[in-house]
Parts: sequence; C-alpha cells; structure tokens
Amino acid sequence: MPDIYTSDWYEAVRDSINVKVAEMQGVPEGTWHVAIDIVGDGRSPYVNQGAERNFVVRIEDGRCAWYREVDGADPGVRLDFRFRGPAEEFDRIAAGLLDPIDAALRGTIKARGDMRFLMRQAEHVQVLLEAYTDGVETLWPDGRPPYDGESA
Amino acid sequence: MEFFDIMPMIRDFGLEALGLRTVMPEAQAAITFADGRPPVVLHRPDLLDRTHASIARYSGTDADLWVELKKRAIGLQDLLATGLYNLPTEATMADLTALLEGVFGDLGITPDFATKSIKVVIDELFETPELRALLYRATVEWGYPVDQAGSGVAFLTFIMWTLGNWKMVRGGTHALAKTMTQACYREGVDLIENSDVEKVIIKDGRAVGVVTRGREIRAEKCVASNADVRQTLLDLVGEDHLSPLWAKRAHAFRYGPSHVLGTPMFCLHEAPDYKSAKWDPDVNRCFYTMVGFDGPDDTIRYIRDAYSGRIPMPAAGLWVNSLWDRAQAPAGRHTATGWYFLPPASALTGAEWEDVRSTFNERFIDVWHAAAPNMTRDNIIAHRLYTPDQMEHKNRMFEGDFSNGEFAPDQLGTNRPFPEASSYRTEIDGLYFCGPSAFPGGGVHAACGYNAYKAIAEDLGLPSPVVTERGY
Amino acid sequence: MKQVCDVVIIGAGHNGLTLGAYLARSGLDVVVLERRHEEGGGLCTEELTRPGFLHNVHANYHTFVDMAPAITDLEVRENGVEYVRPEVQMASIFDDGTALTIHTDLDKTCESMARFSETDAETFRRLHTEAHGFVDLLLGTLMYQPPMSVKELTRALAAFGVEERTEFLSVRLRRETINQFLDQHFTNDRIKAHLAFHGAVCGYTNDVAGLAIGFPLLIGKIDNWHLCLGGSHRLAHALWRDLAHHGGTLISDAEVASIQVEDGRAVGVRLTTGEEISARRAVASTVDVEQTLLEFVDPTDLSPELRTRVANDVVHKDWSLFSVHAAMSELPEYTAAEFDPDVNRAWVVNLGYASTDDLDDDWRLIRKGGLPDPRPNAAVNSLYDPTDAPDGCYTGLLRQFAPYDLHGGGAGQWEGMGRWYAQRCLDVWRRHAPNLEANTFIDWAPFTPLDISRKLVNMVRGDWMMGEISLDNLLDQRPLPELGEYRTPIDRLYLAGSTQHPHGFITFGPGYNALQIMADDLDIDPWWRVI
Ligand SMILES: Cc1cc2nc3c(=O)[nH]c(=O)nc-3n(C[C@H](O)[C@H](O)[C@H](O)COP(=O)(O)OP(=O)(O)OC[C@H]3O[C@@H](n4cnc5c(N)ncnc54)[C@H](O)[C@@H]3O)c2cc1C
Repeated sequence: MPDIYTSDWYEAVRDSINVKVAEMQGVPEGTWHVAIDIVGDGRSPYVNQGAERNFVVRIEDGRCAWYREVDGADPGVRLDFRFRGPAEEFDRIAAGLLDPIDAALRGTIKARGDMRFLMRQAEHVQVLLEAYTDGVETLWPDGRPPYDGESA
Repeated sequence: MEFFDIMPMIRDFGLEALGLRTVMPEAQAAITFADGRPPVVLHRPDLLDRTHASIARYSGTDADLWVELKKRAIGLQDLLATGLYNLPTEATMADLTALLEGVFGDLGITPDFATKSIKVVIDELFETPELRALLYRATVEWGYPVDQAGSGVAFLTFIMWTLGNWKMVRGGTHALAKTMTQACYREGVDLIENSDVEKVIIKDGRAVGVVTRGREIRAEKCVASNADVRQTLLDLVGEDHLSPLWAKRAHAFRYGPSHVLGTPMFCLHEAPDYKSAKWDPDVNRCFYTMVGFDGPDDTIRYIRDAYSGRIPMPAAGLWVNSLWDRAQAPAGRHTATGWYFLPPASALTGAEWEDVRSTFNERFIDVWHAAAPNMTRDNIIAHRLYTPDQMEHKNRMFEGDFSNGEFAPDQLGTNRPFPEASSYRTEIDGLYFCGPSAFPGGGVHAACGYNAYKAIAEDLGLPSPVVTERGY
Repeated sequence: MKQVCDVVIIGAGHNGLTLGAYLARSGLDVVVLERRHEEGGGLCTEELTRPGFLHNVHANYHTFVDMAPAITDLEVRENGVEYVRPEVQMASIFDDGTALTIHTDLDKTCESMARFSETDAETFRRLHTEAHGFVDLLLGTLMYQPPMSVKELTRALAAFGVEERTEFLSVRLRRETINQFLDQHFTNDRIKAHLAFHGAVCGYTNDVAGLAIGFPLLIGKIDNWHLCLGGSHRLAHALWRDLAHHGGTLISDAEVASIQVEDGRAVGVRLTTGEEISARRAVASTVDVEQTLLEFVDPTDLSPELRTRVANDVVHKDWSLFSVHAAMSELPEYTAAEFDPDVNRAWVVNLGYASTDDLDDDWRLIRKGGLPDPRPNAAVNSLYDPTDAPDGCYTGLLRQFAPYDLHGGGAGQWEGMGRWYAQRCLDVWRRHAPNLEANTFIDWAPFTPLDISRKLVNMVRGDWMMGEISLDNLLDQRPLPELGEYRTPIDRLYLAGSTQHPHGFITFGPGYNALQIMADDLDIDPWWRVI
C-alpha cells in the first residue's frame, strides 16, 4: 500500500486505470498530456503552504503511459489539460471523500483545456476519475483528510 | 486636401497599402449664381483648357492670365514643398522680389506686388467680378486674410498652387486619420483616447512626462504638444516654469479671426442642380461650390463682417462628396457639407451661438434654393450646423480657429508661434510643439508634425526622415 | 490598397477583429474589410447629440470581461481598454416606489431581495454561488469551444451525473422556458421579473422554450457587467491596434460585394468599388449568412438546396431595440431612492416590468408588430465614467424592447415615429425621476430598430443578435445545422460572426471558435491554447 503522491502511489493509480480501460470499448485514440497542480493550502500536510507540486500524466490511446512530478513552470511537453486546486481538495478526492465532478462544479478545482473533448469522452473520463478516487489503497503517513479545521 | 502629393507620411509609411484611397474630381472649384449667370469653374491642373473655357465666357484676357499664372504656380510645387517640410527660414524682401521677377516678371507682375494685399492683387490682375468673388472667398479659406498688406506673394504662389489641387479621401476625411493611426499602431505607438492632458511634468527644467486623468505617464526622451501654444505653455507647463519673455509671448498669442469656419451638414435626397448649370453642367459635379455670393462687393462685406465679429450673410462653400464616393451616403441619397465663414467663438454668447445653430442653416437653405431650385425643404432630409464655439470645445481649436493661431505677419513663418519658438523647440528642455500653432499653421499637410520630428531627431540623434530626391 | 494577403476577413466587428488579431499574431498576413468608415460594428460610440457626449449607439454592457480568452490573449487592457465594474449593477423600480438592486457584493443583492422575499434571497444566494462555481466550466464548454449538440451535452451531463449534483443544471431545462425555471425556484413576482428582464437584455427571451438551459450561465455573470471607459468603441480600437501592431491591416469603407471562388475554393473578394483582394489561405465572413451565401457567393458555386435553406430557414430575432440617447445636465434622482438609495447609483435601471407577465404581454404585442407602452431601461454611464460627457453633464441611454416591423406598414414606419416614441420613453423616465425636467435634456436623439439595420446591414431586420436565440438556433444548429461548424460547403470559406455559436453580444465567441476550426484546417500552431 503506497503513500500518497509517491511514485509507488502513482504507479498503482496508473495500473488501476489501465486495468479498467482495458475493459472499455471506444476509448479515444491519440496522446494527451494532463497537468495536475496541487497547491499548498496550509491544511494538507503533503504540500507546503505556498508551494506547489506539479504532476504531468501522459495518456496514450486511453491508457496512462506515465506520470511525472515536474518542476513547476516547464512541464517539458505541450499540455492539453490542466487541473489545478488546493491540496486539501485533491487529498479528499484521493481519499474518496470528495467527488471530483463536484469539485469541478464548485470551481474549487479549475479545469482548463478542450472541455468539449472532455464532455464527449465523459464515460472514459469517469473511469480515469474512479481509478484516482478509489482504485488504490492509499497510506497517509502524515494524517488523512478530513483535516478537521486544524492547520497543518 | 491639396497636399497629398507632397505629404511625406503618406509615402514614408505606405498609407495607401493601409487603405488610403483618394479621388480627384475634374471640376474643382466653382461659383454659382442665383440669377443663373454662367458659373466660373476651375478644373484640375491637368484640365486647364476647361478652366480657360469657363473663365473665357466672361473674359478672354482673364482666362489667358489665369492659365499662365496657374502653370507657373504648378511649377513652384517643389519649392513650396521644400518650404513647408522644413524648419521655417526668413524670406527677405530681396528673395520675394527675385521670386516675383524670376517666375512672374514676364506677366507684368512687378516687385511691388510683394507689399500689396491679396485683394489688391486679385483686383489688379483680373477684371471679371465673378472670378474675383470666387478668389476672395477661396483665399480666406485656404490661406490668408485678403486685406492684409504684404500677402500678395502668398496669393501668387501658395493660393494659386492650392486652387484646384484638391483630392478627396474616399470614405471621408477621417479615413486619412485612420490610416495614419494604423501606421502608428503598426509601429507600436499607443493612442490613448479620452485623455485630457492636465499637466506637463517639469523636473529640473526638463519635460519628463505628462499627467492625464490624474495619472502620470513618464517620457524618457521628450514630450511634444499638438495642443496650441497658449494651452501648452500657460496651462500644461504653467507660468512658474516659464521665463518672463515666454510667458509674455504666450499671453500675446492670438487666435482667429482668419481661420474660423462653421460647418453645415445636410442629408439630401438629390444633389443640387444649379441654375448656372445651364451654361456649364460641370458646376453640378464640382468638388467645391460657392453659393450665395453675387459678386466681389458682397463677398468682401461677408469676409469683413466675420472678421469684425458679426454674423455675415448666409453664403457657403459646399461639397457633395457622395457624387464621387457612394460610401458617403446611403444608396440614392447625398451628403453635402460646407463652410460658412463665421466670427470667432468669443464674438457671440453661448445663447447667440445656439440661435445661430438653430436658424442659420434655415436662412442658408433659402439662399441655396434661389441658386439651385431643387434644394427645397423636402429635398433636405436633415441638417445640422457645427459652430466655432463647438470646435473650440471639441478640438480645442480656440475661437474655432482651425490654425490655432491667427494668420498675421507677426505670427507667420519664422514668427510662428513667436520668434523664439519657431524651431518647434521650447525653452523647456525636451518639450516641443508639433501642432498648427507652429509653422506652417493649419491645414492637412502634417508639416508641423514632420518638422517637429526633424527637430527632435536632431536633438536626440534619431534618424533623419529626409529623402534626398524629394529635398525634404 | 493591398491586393494579396493570406486571409481576408469580411466585417470589422469585434468578431472579425478578434479573429484577425489572433491570426496576425500567428504570423499570417491578414486584411479585415469593413463596410463602414469605422471599425467595431456593434462597438460603436458616437457623439449623436452634442460634442463631448459619447453615446454607445449599440453595445453598452460588456458582460464577458475576464471570461473571454481574447481579453488576455489579445492584451485588450494593455492595448488601451479600461473597464469599470459598477458597484450597483442593476435595479428594477416599481410603480409603488419600491426597488430591487443587484450589486457586485452578493450580500447586498441578497439584502435587497430579502426585502421582497427572504426565501427567494436565499435561493438566489444558492443559485448564484453554485453558478459562480461552474461558470468557468460552462464558459469553457458552451462558449469558447466549437459547439456540441444538445444530444451530446445531455449524454455527458448524464454520464457525469451532474443532475444529482445541482438542481440548476438539470437536463430537463432544455425543454423549459426561463419563466418556468423562475416559477420552479422563486416565489416573488418582482424578483422573477428582474431576473427575467436581465435575461432579456442579454437576448434570452423569458418565454422561449429551451432557454432555461442557458439561465444558470446568465446568473453566474449577472454581476459581471462592465463599462468600457470612454465608450465601447475603445474596445474596437484596442482590437484594431492589436491587429495592426501584429502586421494585419484594417481597411474601412470597403464593402464586400462578392467572394471569388475557384475550383470550389474561396480565393478572394471583390469590393463594391471593383477593387479586388486575393486571399492565399482563406476567407472568413463575419456578416449575416444571407449576404455571405446569397449575395457574395455566385449561385453556381452553391447548391440550390442550401440557397433555399438560407433564404427561408435562417431565423432572426423577433424583437429589436429602440434607443433614446440623451445629453443631460442632471443625474436622475429616483423617487424610489427613498426606499433604496442605491437605485440612484444603479447602472442599468428597469423602469416598469414588475412581473414576468408584464414581459410576456410585451413580447406577444411586439411579435405582432405592436408598439408597447414604454417600459424602458435607463443607463447613465457618466455615473461611472467621467470622460463620457462634458464637465457637469451626463450621457444617458434609454432602451426599449420593440418590433422591427411595425404592424400595418412595416419597418419604414419608424421613419416618422422615432421622436414621438422617444418622447414617450423619456416621459416614463421622468415619472420615476421627477428631477429630470424637460430642460435637463440638453438634447436627445432616437435610434430605431430600422436605424440599427441601416447602420449595420448585417443586423438583418434589426436583429442585434444576428440570429434568433432559441434552442433550435443555438449550438451546432446555428444558423443552420449544415453551417453550424463555421465551415461552409465552399472550401476555405468560413463563417465567423454572430450568426454562429455562441451568438451575438460582445462575447468574442464566434471569432474565437472559428479560429479553432481554421487553425485545424490551415495548420496554424494554436499558441493561444497553451495552458
Ligand atoms: C441597439 C443595440 C444594443 C446592443 N447592446 C448590447 C450590449 O449592451 N451588450 C452586448 O454585449 N451586445 C449588445 N448588442 C449586440 C452586439 O452589438 C452585437 O451582437 C455584436 O456587435 C456582434 O458582433 P459581430 O462582430 O459579430 O458583428 P458586428 O459588430 O455587427 O460587426 C459586423 C461588421 O461587418 C460589417 N459589414 C456588414 N456587411 C459588410 C460587407 N458587405 N462588407 C464589409 N463589411 C460589412 C458591419 O458594418 C460591421 O461593422 C447590441 C446591439 C444593438 C443593435
């Protein structure tokens, strides 16, 4: 059982995605790069306040090819989508406490990129999200959300 | 617009590729009469035989002389252009005499013409009253007060060159401004509208920026003012930054009455069809047509009235641009615009101007109808008059003077706006004039801006805009 | 004039200029041709009354500021635009002297609503907060992307289970009117009237089935109304500046007469003056479909079926706008200020619609060509823009919903009626603000629906939205299903104006979305998509 946001954890997420996608029909062909910006909010113990952790995920023909933690400004690839929000929100999603669609609808996690494509691939996107939210048993070495109002 | 062929900016910035398009109507200036007498029609420089025919209807001698004078004036174009697009130089009496003798001597023009007023020059040269009336009126609009002694040379050179040399900008005059703006945008100039400049910031005797709408804009190199002299020096700089001499000069600078016009605008069904057209249909397709003048006497009275602060008789110079440019009126309609020669803004109270605005066009329409029977009230869809007080307000052309400074010998040439300031530089380091208060004055020639750039370029070590072949 | 370029764009409204500036920034040689002497189309500011009074002849309210990508991509502010977001955005004044105000501060809006209904105020807070949350998503999905079909949208919303998450994004909204939406969620007539009025000013008529689907987006930006300092035309200048600075050329007084087609491909245009400009890569038209496909394109280059469809099936808005532009020496002081002092600072004031029935009655009348008893809305920009009038004076605007064709004699009848109807509108204003005596109006000028079409010929029949706003004329159905993707049957001829998704209004959407399609077709590197 991997610790949250470690390479092991992401690999587990990736595997879980790919298992699910393997069962799907009509996944979109092509390659996409998705940025995930997790912004320290003073509540999550996994990202320092004011700091950010930036990840890039590469999707190839619906499957997750790799993910990388990158150094802020230059992801080294041309991005197609970006999801950005406070760390606690991402933590809660990973812990299965918050529905990512809800987070997007409330605007706490901002989505950028070709929304039309995301809408058209709704079923596939749902699978990716599910893998992220409950595909992996996650360990929370510094405490798990909800953070009950205490500051980290 | 008479300067298009010589205006540097048009070529230097490729304004034609940016959309500047012009038309040059064949018949250029005319006078027409309520009693249906033949008109006098002046044509383009390449159609002098038609002009000759028109004047010859009244006088063969006048026609011959006109054509000769005009040819000489056309030949002076390079000289005039070099004069306009350079910093002013002192013309001595000897220079003028030499010019008159050299260019016009064989036509019986003697050196003493240089000391005469334009009216006297016109009267001595031409016998036809109708032609004289046309020339008086054209002169006040395009150049100089007709009664001013010593302006005779200007008539023979500048006015004669100007007359009938007019191009029209397709889409309206503003289209020229648009192409200039586009050139500025392309070069990276910021144009910030609705921004009254309140102050020029002076630091250690240097102009270092301006304040507009309470905000500072810093200028590392210089500040140039297109505003008139008095506003620039007294309001924006402030007397405390001026020497007593400059303050005195600024206070003494005068506006109007030389270039004060009112602009009537008419939306028409039909273009005017003049009684005089039965002699010469060209008058109906003439660029600039004078209406409401009977002869030299009432024309002179008209001019003198306006100069002395009285509303003159309703008479106008008019143009119907839609005859050549469908973009200037809806399909099947016409747009007429004109100029009344009017007194300076301060000659009348606000209420009196309001009254002029609501009555003067009506009076003119009666006069117009007398000269062109189809100019009935039914033919006029709407009209409006734009008066000198409004020009003062809208464009800060003080007194409604489109040159922002009277055309008088002590305010012209190297005296413009005053002798110490005639190089576009001011006594404040880094502050320049680039508007019509500076040499050579009002008119769409862009010479004030071009020459100001030369002065600035020299001071700041920027490239010179001069093109050797054109001489400026 | 330039004779060859890469892309010719017909019409220099904000969509034409936006598309042009993006393409110029992409390194293409662009020429934008404009029929009028000024660029901007609906972004038109003129001194209609007296010198110094800047009247926004068409668009006055900029509601997509900081939402449209073009604002930042084209550096609109750096190019000279200054926006103000009035604190008191809107008001409705009712005959009994009460009034409702919409503020940029949500608490204040809710306080004002609570004076009419506390539950409605709570509902509004909930709706507004939710809508604010998803407004970005909606903009990204529904405005600044080429369109999806309603079917696709419905499917996606179902897949994401959106319906269970917010009552305001229910898929059944696609069958409902704004009135129905309001009835389901609100109780107070006046609050409903105000919200419906607000929708109408945005072009969304409250009694049209299906428009409820757009309502949450409208609510999400109800407090995002911006005023362009110095007049709306300043935005046109900024877009033009960006275009020119990146090497593009705007040519005014250039009315396009025809589009040249060779081997099924658009290769240039000819002007009414006979001048020609060829386009190496593409031609994009931002004017009405009728001009583009019936007048510009030779009949032999288009199928007769499509010509018939364009002639018969393109639907225009069934109401237009009548305006009165006023030069004033005083600001209105409303009697209702006793009830709510903020009405005197409100930017847009609804004078008279007190229920959705009031609006519905007027729509019914207007659709039959009737002229309603005026219930105009008033805006005095000078409250927030000191530069739009001479010192001590104010620039005012009244707008009234009105038919284009008047019953009995068509639009021509407006000719003689403008001043009379304007006077009636002014009378209503004065009834609500008695300090506006006749002499406080230094001058005023009517601007009729007929004038709209005369000034902007692409606004066919006074259609300021350039196509009806109804569900069967939105998204990929706009202006016709076969023309819904910005492409036309003629290769390299694109439609990029308000006839296309999303619709009219100062949205920047059609130009921006057409750009996406053109970028794909012309292989243009989409630098603006960098995220
Ligand atoms: C009275 C009124 C009030 C409005 N109020 C608002 C408001 O407050 N807020 C808001 O957001 N919107 C408002 N609108 C709507 C808004 O103005 C338009 O929806 C918007 O201008 C459309 O932009 P566009 O670029 O698609 O077209 P336009 O702005 O119409 O531009 C099209 C351009 O194409 C030109 N053209 C037409 N035919 C030719 C041709 N043959 N050749 C060359 N050029 C041609 C036209 O002259 C015009 O300049 C209002 C409109 C009106 C009429």
